[in-house]
Amino acid sequence: VISLHANFRSLDPLPIHGPEFGSAMDEAETIEVEPESKQQVLENKEVVVQHVHVDGVKRTKDDILAYEIADVFRAKNLIEVMKKSHEARERLLRMGIFRHVDVLIDTAHGEEALPHGLDVIFEVKEMRRLTGSYNTMVGNNEGSMVLGLKLPNLFGRAEKVTFQFSYGTKETSYGLSFFKPQIGNFDRNFSMNFYKVTGQFPWSSIRETDRGVSAEYNIPFWSTQHTLKWEGVWRDLGCLSRTASFAVREESGHSLKSSISHAMAIDSRNSAILPKRGALLKINQELAGYTGGDVSFLKEDFELQLNKELLWDTVLSASLWGGLLIPIGDKGSSIADRFYLGGPTTVRGFSMYSIGPQSEGDYLGGEAYWAGGLHMYTPLPFRPGQGGFGDLFRTHFFLNAGNLCNLNYGEGPRAHLQKLAECIRWSYGAGIVLRLGNIARLELNYCIPMGVQSGDRYVPSFTSAFLLFGGFWSPVA
Amino acid sequence: MSIAHDVLFSQMAAAEPWPENAMLYQPLKGEQILLSDNASCLAVQAFLRICNLSVQVVHRANAEYMSPSGKPPFIHVGNHVVSELGPIVQFAKAKGHSLSEGLDEVQKAEMKAYMELVNNMLLTAELYIQWCDDSTSSKITRSRYGSPYPWPLNHILAYQKQWEIRRKMKAIGWAGKNLEQVYEDVDQCCQALSQRLGNQSYFFNRQPTELDALVFGHLFTILTTQLTNDALSEKVKNYENLVKFCRRVEQNYFEELDHESRLSPTSRSLRDTPPK
Repeated sequence: VISLHANFRSLDPLPIHGPEFGSAMDEAETIEVEPESKQQVLENKEVVVQHVHVDGVKRTKDDILAYEIADVFRAKNLIEVMKKSHEARERLLRMGIFRHVDVLIDTAHGEEALPHGLDVIFEVKEMRRLTGSYNTMVGNNEGSMVLGLKLPNLFGRAEKVTFQFSYGTKETSYGLSFFKPQIGNFDRNFSMNFYKVTGQFPWSSIRETDRGVSAEYNIPFWSTQHTLKWEGVWRDLGCLSRTASFAVREESGHSLKSSISHAMAIDSRNSAILPKRGALLKINQELAGYTGGDVSFLKEDFELQLNKELLWDTVLSASLWGGLLIPIGDKGSSIADRFYLGGPTTVRGFSMYSIGPQSEGDYLGGEAYWAGGLHMYTPLPFRPGQGGFGDLFRTHFFLNAGNLCNLNYGEGPRAHLQKLAECIRWSYGAGIVLRLGNIARLELNYCIPMGVQSGDRYVPSFTSAFLLFGGFWSPVA
Repeated sequence: MSIAHDVLFSQMAAAEPWPENAMLYQPLKGEQILLSDNASCLAVQAFLRICNLSVQVVHRANAEYMSPSGKPPFIHVGNHVVSELGPIVQFAKAKGHSLSEGLDEVQKAEMKAYMELVNNMLLTAELYIQWCDDSTSSKITRSRYGSPYPWPLNHILAYQKQWEIRRKMKAIGWAGKNLEQVYEDVDQCCQALSQRLGNQSYFFNRQPTELDALVFGHLFTILTTQLTNDALSEKVKNYENLVKFCRRVEQNYFEELDHESRLSPTSRSLRDTPPK
């Protein structure tokens, strides 16, 4: 019963989109003009939606369907019926429990049928009880095989259990999650995760294994999305090699972090990858240590991105990130909690996370950072392949800057700002960006790093290619 | 450690003299360190003191994980990190400090054989009693081992360690032994050591070697550590010359130094009441 398909997003909460509504509307129209004896033009006439059927439902409970399609009854004319049916279809698909949903709009049938009555029929096909995915990933000097299992619609109310297992040439990771949306409000949902993730971070000569439990509650509030989260992680740090610096060696061993965090996001961009307009603001705050564990800190960070479309398909994009980590108590911050800067997601031209405090070539991260970027995206010169393949490419000119350091909290905020304003690393350059679906981008850049401080590592060849995953990549480790 | 690495490492090490700021890392003294780790740490301390090499002892809860071999103690000298007695002896030798230089080939082989005996018998017996004897592991070992960590990590790590040691015991065929048989092994080992020592001051007469450091580390720790019962220390106490030997090393290499610096880690003595 396992279907095989290679897809990056196969375990994502959003379903793979089915046929566009355009085709469904065509169907609705063709049905409407069936050669019946009492053919009528309904376009501007008042109509009443008398029945809404959902055909093909086997496991899904009626109550959650009722919420999603209730709006269709409020339509007053045919245009509204079509619009509301379209919205209902989108909502049904978004729950991730149907393989496809088709909409049929017909004149009402049966004894109670009114002359201007309509029936709306949703023909759905539920997903299998168990679906699977398999894909291979290569990156970071490691190849891995990812197996995913999903139980969509576990109890008939769009609950979902997913299990992902990644077997790599170096590390093995897995995760199990349970997701439960609130009935009638899919955006308000609860999820629980259990996971084990192992990562190797050569820039710090460190290997980290995290075993954790987290519970999170997502709440939409006006146009913002809030996430409240508790996380308990057992972290096991070790040196990647015998030659790791002593500063990294001192961080080896086990720690338990228990933290509560709040995240807020407003996203009005038209796309997560190469957006043309709109803004994104993310604010994250995490308080560790009050709910147990032996790690105590307060961490704040934000991300701001503004996009504006100029003349000739040119897009100007500005972004700013910043973060602050304040250790609580007499213990200093851990290498696993600090911020890292440098590399294609933050300051291009520098090696991955290779800016700031370091010991014997191992980067230790910093307790405060900021980074900013200014991009101008234009279509390719002379626009080859316009309207097709060529539209996946963009040229971009960029200016990146940032700084990362440790703060001494006795010095006061003025000294901190001064410290962050000193020795700014920056870079500029130009390159080509390839958009890969709606999830990733590939960059080929010519980049000149400036303001390099002793100890920083930069990319000397000026030419570099990166693969960035827009959806689930965050600039800080 | 590979041979190539060893060679390179000795050459590099030989270039510099023993620095002033050498550090010896071991687990927390009061509430964390276990019998077997304490024995290994004391053996290294004794070796360095006999060599007259100064180190500052640093207590860290994560010493085990900082150690490149995963076992405490280890020394941090210049850019080098060396763990456990054997490699530390090699390292000191590369820097021109050796206790077994004066021995002939036969004596060297004999010394190595006795060191193997101590590691295979005494160390393994200590590990067995700590982790495989249910009463000792539940009353002492697990709570001490987990003491630096918050709940529930303290239990997880202690059980994980216990499982690992028990698997090792199975691999070397000790899993089927009972406590009496282990005490019998300790007794036999002590008997062998006692016979070799005889009436001499040290195992190879006047001058202590790394074997003396190792034996002292284990026997002194067994004699001064309070377990659930005294059965283990009684086995050692039966051999008067071994107890005297421990007293001798303590007096000659620990006490005189203690008068100079009160900060010294080994403030326990055979005369003191043993700490729990």
